[in-house]
Amino acid sequence: MRFIFLFFLLIFKNLDAFEYKNLKTNSGIEFWFVEDKSIPIVSVSFSFRGGSSIDIKDKNGISNLMTSLLDEGTRNLTSKKFKNEMKMNGMKLSFSTQKDKIDGVFQIISAQAKDGFDLFYEALNHPSFNEVDINRVKRQVISSIKIDESDLSTLASNKFNQHFFKDHVFSNNIKGSEESIKNITRTDLVNFHKKSFVKNNLVIGVAGNINVNKIKKYIELVFGELKDNQQNYSIKQFKALSVGQKMFEMKTPQSSVLFGHPGLERNNENFFALRIANYILGGGGFQSRLYKNIREKKGLVYSIYSYLLSYENDGVIVGGFQTRNKSVFQTIENVKNEWKKLNKRGITKNELDNAKAYFNGSFTRNFTSTLSIARLLQVVQYYELGADYFIKREKIINSLNLEKVNGIISEYFSNEKLFFMIVGEPEKK
Amino acid sequence: MKIVGILFILLFCFESKSNINFNAKSTTLENGLRLIVVENPRAPVVAQMMWYNFGSNIEQRGKSGLAHFMEHLMFKGTKKFPNSYYSDYLSKIGGSENAFTSYDYTAYYQIFPSQHLEKIIELEADRMNNLTLTKKNVEIEKKVILEERFQRIESDPSAQLDESMRTVLFPNDYYGRPIIGWKHEIENLSYDDVIDFYKENYNPNNAILILSGDIKFKNAKKLVNKYYKSINSSQKIKLNKLNNPDLKTSTNVELSNENVKQQIWKRIYRTKSYNDSMTQSIALDLGMKILAGGTSSLLYEEFVNKKKIFSMVGGFFQGLTKGNGYIYFYAIPNKKVEQSEISDLLDKFIVQAIDEGISEEKLILEKKKYYFDSIYGMDGILKPAEIIGEALTIGLSLDDIENWNDKLDKINLEMVKKELKEFSKNRNFVTGNLKN
Repeated sequence: MRFIFLFFLLIFKNLDAFEYKNLKTNSGIEFWFVEDKSIPIVSVSFSFRGGSSIDIKDKNGISNLMTSLLDEGTRNLTSKKFKNEMKMNGMKLSFSTQKDKIDGVFQIISAQAKDGFDLFYEALNHPSFNEVDINRVKRQVISSIKIDESDLSTLASNKFNQHFFKDHVFSNNIKGSEESIKNITRTDLVNFHKKSFVKNNLVIGVAGNINVNKIKKYIELVFGELKDNQQNYSIKQFKALSVGQKMFEMKTPQSSVLFGHPGLERNNENFFALRIANYILGGGGFQSRLYKNIREKKGLVYSIYSYLLSYENDGVIVGGFQTRNKSVFQTIENVKNEWKKLNKRGITKNELDNAKAYFNGSFTRNFTSTLSIARLLQVVQYYELGADYFIKREKIINSLNLEKVNGIISEYFSNEKLFFMIVGEPEKK
Repeated sequence: MKIVGILFILLFCFESKSNINFNAKSTTLENGLRLIVVENPRAPVVAQMMWYNFGSNIEQRGKSGLAHFMEHLMFKGTKKFPNSYYSDYLSKIGGSENAFTSYDYTAYYQIFPSQHLEKIIELEADRMNNLTLTKKNVEIEKKVILEERFQRIESDPSAQLDESMRTVLFPNDYYGRPIIGWKHEIENLSYDDVIDFYKENYNPNNAILILSGDIKFKNAKKLVNKYYKSINSSQKIKLNKLNNPDLKTSTNVELSNENVKQQIWKRIYRTKSYNDSMTQSIALDLGMKILAGGTSSLLYEEFVNKKKIFSMVGGFFQGLTKGNGYIYFYAIPNKKVEQSEISDLLDKFIVQAIDEGISEEKLILEKKKYYFDSIYGMDGILKPAEIIGEALTIGLSLDDIENWNDKLDKINLEMVKKELKEFSKNRNFVTGNLKN
């Protein structure tokens, strides 16, 4: 076999000059694309709204099970043959079910694009859902649920979701339970597949070494047969998030603690202000107040963090740490104090300037691989941040002044709204 | 919107699939510091990785965890750039950073916009020689590290089992000691231990600096020379190379914990490494991929698809090590099965599979995947620095890395079978069982 690749270097020297193409296939599927000839790879990042939030009652975990079966053979290829074909072509295909969506990544070596996109088409549109494969993957999911139940931090995270989101669909485990997995039939999977993969819930970003005409043809091939669906898969607002504290006992030398607080939807006009506040509180790696005051000054934890989970119609702030059973309540008090301090005194001018500089400077990191470019293009569409987001972003950040950010902090952050989930055997105060 | 200056440069045009490489450029300063540059101007971003060619392997007996402790303390500041100056600076420019310690190496990395290159080079150079530590720094960080040990090991039965299995498999060298250190030894590490370790080992002779991304070799050389040339070289690390005795007993380690809801069977073998032989190791790696890699392996086909005893089974070879390499197997049974029964099933099958199941067709497939993966490895700026840094610190040469695919091409079925046959006679292994 002969490989002849021409290598070109594409330079994004200036972000204002970052150019993507908004393309449309023959049947009208829109996607964003960057032609990047620096490496002979094509990366496709795509997302379908829905995910485990549209799981069927008593059949929780069906979305995760369905997506786990998509590389297990097609109408023409057995599971084994399909996997061999993937290897033969240097193809990567993965699906992951999230609470609000199904994320997918497809990557192919440019020279193998034709065969690769054909396989991608078959996997997405015509999975075999063979009974033998279904039963095997069910056993694997059940093992993985049991491993999660044995793992302190994963267990804590699942308990947190269950109690924090209460009656909201987000309280369910993405993987389901042993019982709910057993309830799922082949017919359920076939129907759920149809329900999940619909055109009007799809966004796509592509980057890599392929020309415009070809990529339009391939995107049409893969996604062109999907139907539209008038159902609305939008996530409902979190009307009643838990507050206070909840315990789950487990015999272990450390406790795992997760905490939650209301946040904002991704396209809220105050999102960036909240993002900056969270960066200063618990988001910024070695910079955050939680890290500096609880790890660096006191040595109470190895890792402590908070992050924003922002969805279409609502969002939350989630954080966590692990500490020895004797220091659980002391650390929780410290987190509460940081929260209170933030709410009462806000952030300083210096902190704001540093955070703004961080968000302005870190954006270029998205342009270092075809996959990270494709993902960025996809995410901007998913959250409807606008076709001009790449120009607008810096302006949004720079427009934030201290008064504005502190105003938003005092409006949103409140100790009263904090919820702590403790898993372990904490010693009483 | 417009892309300014799409620069069409013909980098390389290859006809044989062997020529795919990083085109890494290299030089060594007088004081022994090695500089490697991988030019990739796709985006205005640079990844800097500083690799020290030692890890927990140079710790004296009784001082386990010292190399990892030192790694944490490298973030505590210098006289010129005190406290968290370096981390603060990085985050202000939108950078990110971290570090890791292994048995054979310790590495620090930063990813940042390329216009700040000079300052970041200066900051990394400065902390190689000018760290200022207080006793208080050391005491507080020790608490953090004990919490880390409790998070990674003491709260995780599966990690405890692995730790215990390694003590059996490597009774006489550093691979049998946990990188993070034993709890009772971490507790006894002192301020003087740390200072001595730093002075003795952190110097240009033991360091490889890798810059990958939007950077030119010429400029990198100039800047690195400017900030590192004044750092005196002291001695190279002296690694007291220890060997392990052949195991005369078969050992089954079992960990029973009430939190464990899923049984897991494990086995680790002591093997050769890429340092012993590149070609043999690549052959062994390919053989292991056919036998036990992923969801189309012979093991998976037999026990997950056909016999339905396990929900998952697999294994891999890790030979990027200064001393012995190892082969790791695991099996997750669908129902409770005795440890010895799993061992018997796998032992019998592996011997048979090596004789009958390793085909030319499967080898071609794995070689293809190997080759394609090397292309994916070049998509990004950190990955090339990771691959090069790990290989160089364990003792391979830059040529070894750049010509990897040449060696891959030459591997045939006989070579793979020979390695697997040799492996099937290996008695240096330990078996583990994690259960409720």
